[in-house]
Amino acid sequence: MNKPIVILVTVFLILQSCSRNEAPIAIRADHFHQSVDETVEVMIHDIFSPPVASRIFAYPNIAAYEIIALDDANYNSLAGQVNGLTPIPEPEEEGVNMDLAAMIAHMQLSKSLIFSEEKLATYQDSVLNQWQKENSSEFNKTKEYAEKVVAHIRDWMDKDNYKQTRTMPKFTVRSEEPGRWQPTPPAYMDGIEPHWNKIRPFTLDSASQFKPAPPAPFSMEEGSEFHKELMEVYEVGNKITSDESEEVAIAQFWDCNPYVSVTRGHLMFATKKITPGAHWIGICKIACKQTDSDFRKTVMAYTKTSIAIADGFISCWDEKYRSNLIRPETLINKYIDDNWKPILQTPPFPEYTSGHSVVSGAASEALTSVFGEDFAFDDDTELPYGLPVRSFKSFRNAAEEAAISRMYGGIHYRMAIEVGLDQGRNLGDYVVENLDMQSEETIAEKE
Amino acid sequence: MILLACKKEDTLFVYLEPEKSGIEFANILDTDDTVNILDYLYYYNGGGVSIGDVNNDGLPDIYLSGNRVPNKLYLNKGGLRFEDITETAGVSGTGNWNTGTVMADVNGDGYLDIFVSAVSGIHDFQGHHELFINQGDLTFKEMSEAYNLNLESYGTHAAFFDYDLDGDLDLYLLNHAVHTQESYGDVSLRDQRNPKTGDRLMRNDGDHFTDVSEAAGIYGGINGFGLGIAVSDFDKNGYPDLYIGNDFHEDDYFYLNQGDGTFKESVKAHFKHISRFSMGNDVADINHDGWPDLLSLDMLPEKEIPLKASEGDDNVQMMKLRTQKLGYHYQFTRNMLQLNRGGEFFTEAALHSGIAATDWSWSALFSDFNQDGNQDLFIANGIPKRPNDLDYIRFISSGEIKASLNPAKGIDKEALDRMPSGTVPNYIFEGSDSLFFSDRSNTWLPKETTNATAAAYGDLDLDGDLDLVINNVNAPATVLINQTDQKATRFLKLKLKANGKNSFGTGTKVTAYSNGKIYFRELYPVRGFQSSSEPFVHIGFPGNVAEIDSVLITWPDRSETLLRDVPTNTTLKTVQQDTYERGVETPLRNSLLFEKSKNNLGIDYVHTEDNYVDFNNHKLIPYQVSDRGPAFASGDLNGDGKTDLFFGSSRYFPSKIYLQNEDGFTEQNFDAVAGDSISEDTGALILDFDNNGLNDLITTTGGAHFFGKAAPLLDHYYAGEAGMLVKKQLPESYQNNNVIAAADYDGDGDLDLFLGSHTNSDDFGVLPESVFLLNEKGVFREDGKQQPGSVGMVTDAVWQDINEDGWPDLLVVGEWMSPVLFMNEKGSLKRASSVIPDKLNGLWQAVQPFDIDDDGDLDFILGNWGSNTKFRATEQAPLRMYHHDFDKNGKRETIVTQEHNGEYYTFDGLDHLASQMPTLMRKKFTRYRDFAGKPIHEVIDQSLLDQAQKLEVHELRSGILLNEEGIFKFIPFGEDLQLAPITAFTLQDFNKDGQPEVLAGGNYFGVRPYHGRFDGFPGALITDIDNVHLTHEYGLNLSGKAIRALDVIEFAGDSYLVVTINNSEAEIYRINNPKINE
Repeated sequence: MNKPIVILVTVFLILQSCSRNEAPIAIRADHFHQSVDETVEVMIHDIFSPPVASRIFAYPNIAAYEIIALDDANYNSLAGQVNGLTPIPEPEEEGVNMDLAAMIAHMQLSKSLIFSEEKLATYQDSVLNQWQKENSSEFNKTKEYAEKVVAHIRDWMDKDNYKQTRTMPKFTVRSEEPGRWQPTPPAYMDGIEPHWNKIRPFTLDSASQFKPAPPAPFSMEEGSEFHKELMEVYEVGNKITSDESEEVAIAQFWDCNPYVSVTRGHLMFATKKITPGAHWIGICKIACKQTDSDFRKTVMAYTKTSIAIADGFISCWDEKYRSNLIRPETLINKYIDDNWKPILQTPPFPEYTSGHSVVSGAASEALTSVFGEDFAFDDDTELPYGLPVRSFKSFRNAAEEAAISRMYGGIHYRMAIEVGLDQGRNLGDYVVENLDMQSEETIAEKE
Repeated sequence: MILLACKKEDTLFVYLEPEKSGIEFANILDTDDTVNILDYLYYYNGGGVSIGDVNNDGLPDIYLSGNRVPNKLYLNKGGLRFEDITETAGVSGTGNWNTGTVMADVNGDGYLDIFVSAVSGIHDFQGHHELFINQGDLTFKEMSEAYNLNLESYGTHAAFFDYDLDGDLDLYLLNHAVHTQESYGDVSLRDQRNPKTGDRLMRNDGDHFTDVSEAAGIYGGINGFGLGIAVSDFDKNGYPDLYIGNDFHEDDYFYLNQGDGTFKESVKAHFKHISRFSMGNDVADINHDGWPDLLSLDMLPEKEIPLKASEGDDNVQMMKLRTQKLGYHYQFTRNMLQLNRGGEFFTEAALHSGIAATDWSWSALFSDFNQDGNQDLFIANGIPKRPNDLDYIRFISSGEIKASLNPAKGIDKEALDRMPSGTVPNYIFEGSDSLFFSDRSNTWLPKETTNATAAAYGDLDLDGDLDLVINNVNAPATVLINQTDQKATRFLKLKLKANGKNSFGTGTKVTAYSNGKIYFRELYPVRGFQSSSEPFVHIGFPGNVAEIDSVLITWPDRSETLLRDVPTNTTLKTVQQDTYERGVETPLRNSLLFEKSKNNLGIDYVHTEDNYVDFNNHKLIPYQVSDRGPAFASGDLNGDGKTDLFFGSSRYFPSKIYLQNEDGFTEQNFDAVAGDSISEDTGALILDFDNNGLNDLITTTGGAHFFGKAAPLLDHYYAGEAGMLVKKQLPESYQNNNVIAAADYDGDGDLDLFLGSHTNSDDFGVLPESVFLLNEKGVFREDGKQQPGSVGMVTDAVWQDINEDGWPDLLVVGEWMSPVLFMNEKGSLKRASSVIPDKLNGLWQAVQPFDIDDDGDLDFILGNWGSNTKFRATEQAPLRMYHHDFDKNGKRETIVTQEHNGEYYTFDGLDHLASQMPTLMRKKFTRYRDFAGKPIHEVIDQSLLDQAQKLEVHELRSGILLNEEGIFKFIPFGEDLQLAPITAFTLQDFNKDGQPEVLAGGNYFGVRPYHGRFDGFPGALITDIDNVHLTHEYGLNLSGKAIRALDVIEFAGDSYLVVTINNSEAEIYRINNPKINE
């Protein structure tokens, strides 16, 4: 009767020794890139508007970053630096793999923010299973900890007014006001996210902190500033005669419209792409890879970039639904040429300022602060969407091209682009100056 | 394709196998075609069918046109055997994209010729319309060039009819546009005449046709996607008119023939709303009133799954933009049954009739298929690829097309393959003595799963009933033989030969009179879609009609032939003879009881609704609450003995008071009232509340814009004092009160109040508190002893002494509630139980006491939502609304559900629900097909539903609460009063016969485009239960107007009707004295 007990004890010992001998799970920067990429794929499928997409990037990044900052003296926590964030809990027991915890937190929060969970689950489950096999004891402890952090971040996230803004009124179309925004062809969708300025910003004291100068007053009188702006859009579009021209290439490269609706008769279909924010997240990835950044620096770079982008959208949307400016397509169709169509499809929200310009300005400043001023790179972000690689001398150079692309595309006036780029750059500088993410030593080391 | 052979007794129609009939034509579209539905939007519209006797042997022959395959002519050899004589006849055609076909005797030689429409000039489509002239020996000569009809255009169909009554057949060519549907453009696009896409009217000048489109006033623009054509003398002026159904944004055209060679497009003047993606159509008198009614098909699915998985109607804001800025008419995605009201206007009733949703519908054919005396309806359906599938639009297509979106390169074929099927079985409906049609698809038609497009009828086996020939896409044509029992049913068939070249009597009207019923037919063989049916008149009669009292034939030249005592089950060949002349038919008109006052008695009040859209704020509420104004009250406000008028206003607009003088009415400003302009007035009452001998004014306020304790929600009390109105206090009430009813309920000699509340503005679904206010020497205070509490969403209330005990009792009606009766026991108001039926929750709008059965006790007339709506509600399967904070964001929302085949489904689709609860809905349903067809408890967790407040509606019909010795019984009104909500009543002896009648008004537009517009009620005079008359016959047509109040006032010795209308000007009608014709 004694024998079985002995055997049990032996098994227990073997198990114990096994886990002791297991190596820590190694987390690489590529793991993080992949988690972001997979999330982007599902975001494209689920069709998130650009502002909502920016929020889906920011929170998982911050969760991952906070775990690293807790573990690494080179990085400073954002608690107290971004609005409302308090320090995350510390691990209660030994043996938590903090890089792994950052990964798990990123994955779990990303999954909760998109809709089609089963699409993300296929990838996530396979990675998580792999890690669990590698070192189940470390994995289990780490997962338990990561979930606590996720809960902490989620509590904070849930107070950002996102839920409340879901029930707020739709934008009211008033077509009797001639300069006021109206839904645009072909889907004539409602104005998207009219209350995005009520979302809690990360770094800004309010959505209007970088409030731009108002647009030129609406006037269809020839010679007026507004009319000139309108005619410029019309004429730029007319001058572009060939689909092969550089302007068309630029416009399409930076289209970044998550939902382009195509109608033919009763048939409709959508072509979907990444959002402007996702494009800059893609550039962040390129920069990380080009500099061979380690996991932790990668997380930091994504986090800073995504915060700048998210605050950029809040600032831009605040102005969009303040000025409620009509799109060039509506006016050109009505007053000049009813067959005119912009090269890009007009996205469904007011014109001023250009979202892509603001966000590109903000993101380029954030990236410059991490990777330096004259950081040349080849941008292949849009390859999966059938667009070629474009090369840039610097992040700021790319941002300038992204901004002007909106005029080539026929969806923005010049003022929305120029003022928008300034608005974004000022906001980006503010984010860079106010977020103290790297400790003094790290920065010194770098220099 | 699966066709199950059925035994004769199984179905009304049985399938005739191609092997038996010899009709092996199949409109096959090759999957390797150079063109597909992505390139050419009408790729799946199919070919056509025309039926007629081409050799005059008495047997109808069949012509079928094919898009890519050659056309075929089948000669009827008798015994349901057909011979393909296409080659010898020379009618296979040369176009490589043929569409509609018509048989008509174009040259008037007594033989039917064949016309085939073609699409030419886009893609690789070549050829022209073809005219095969019958040589009388079973051969034909293609002579389109000689007749100037060899036009190259984007042809859908054509109709031959004699528009100028010169005895020969002219031609209307129906073409379709290819203009982008990506942007709307305004209605002026129809002025850009284009010979390829624009319709054309071709006058028959003997040996050739002349294009007279422009001079005749026919639009030939670039946005007319013409798919439907109906010819009928809609206004019975003797000249044939046209209804042209246009797909997409362009309105349908209603061309009224002016009799001088021109047409006047009048769709907006005669139709209140029309189908949006208009497809085929048909005209027939379906209600035995002698006037041709119209059905225009669309593509709304009936079944839950395709309904919720397909793209639906516009949103409210786009509807406003299209109608108000771009100039289009109200268009909604569903079939529209337009009832012809005496040639004056049309009332749309398809939802009431049960034929609004038949999915992707091409062809409609009315006929009495079962020969019981009522028109039945066949609808041909289906499309091989359903391009409006939401999963396809949002999720599938993008993956396939993502990288290759270059129009020049064409689109990945896989994108096509992934497009889901839209195959839908054909529908057939049995008509009845009412407007209701019963779906008999399963019992009358053999089971089949083809994609049917064109269809035509004819008596192929000469047994008197109507057989069907259907042209399918990618399947052999279907021939369905009608098995109606000739012994049990009756028919009359007339083949007509008119004078001149009109040898088949096109345009002849036949009116049969039998047992007091009218059976009206017009002979226009072009009907349905891309087809023409056998050119005869067929009328079915109940089985007991052996002989028809009389048959009146009105020939195209308006001469008439009267046949008496005509036996049934016969075919008459009638030549135009023994005729007598009759002038233009003038409809019998009742002398006008109501006459629009020319100067409106000086009343220039216009109610202007503000721009507030409730649905922008509360996306899931079933209807608006902010548009129930304006308030109205009448009474002497300046003590001169003359009745003055108060009109309330919407937010920020001033209310207006008109004082009566010798010449009429003059607006008078009262500072106290003007100061409260910010409020939206919802109720008003003029009476002497403070017993000083002068009337006072009380207004209640509401609207949906203000909520919480907003000052503009406070009600107002203006006391009349020597020509002035002085503001007095009312107890503080921030409710959205829109009902005010006064009576001395405590018996102390002054007027006490019931204030009924409709909603809590920011929380629709909550039952608001109504109040009793006691009057104490002109000062009101809340009744401390008793309160009505949360009685429901109150819309109207009346004080009446129901039990004749000298104490006024109160009847309260409202939405999602049953009428509630408070019996007054010496000042104590007690809610009565067991007096009103339990399950009588309605969307009640108005109540009027009236002894309708003249038995000495009081009955009540109740206005309800009506049955011409997408809402369905019965006692057994009530409409249900849940009210709860489902997504836990601190704000409650409503979810409306209704029963369909034993399960409850959300009324709204996924996009709509997700607009209010994005995370809850989108996380759960990442694809539309996961949501479509899911009952409510699989959409929202049962535990959440259990926590929710549940409101129900059992009855949507307006009717009478009949008092039977103190117990009330509900009796619904007839159909005429169910076609729109009834919202207002007034009691008056209109015809001065000593007995009062009730005048009812209605209509309501505060719903999303998915519901349409409830605009079909012209008003009604209710004399007694069996004596209800629509008022357009008496000069009062209120259809299309949202009536909020009706009142009769006296001015200068005459009675006038004051009509208060939401978002429109007030209208005044003089009431003349003639008696109502009984």
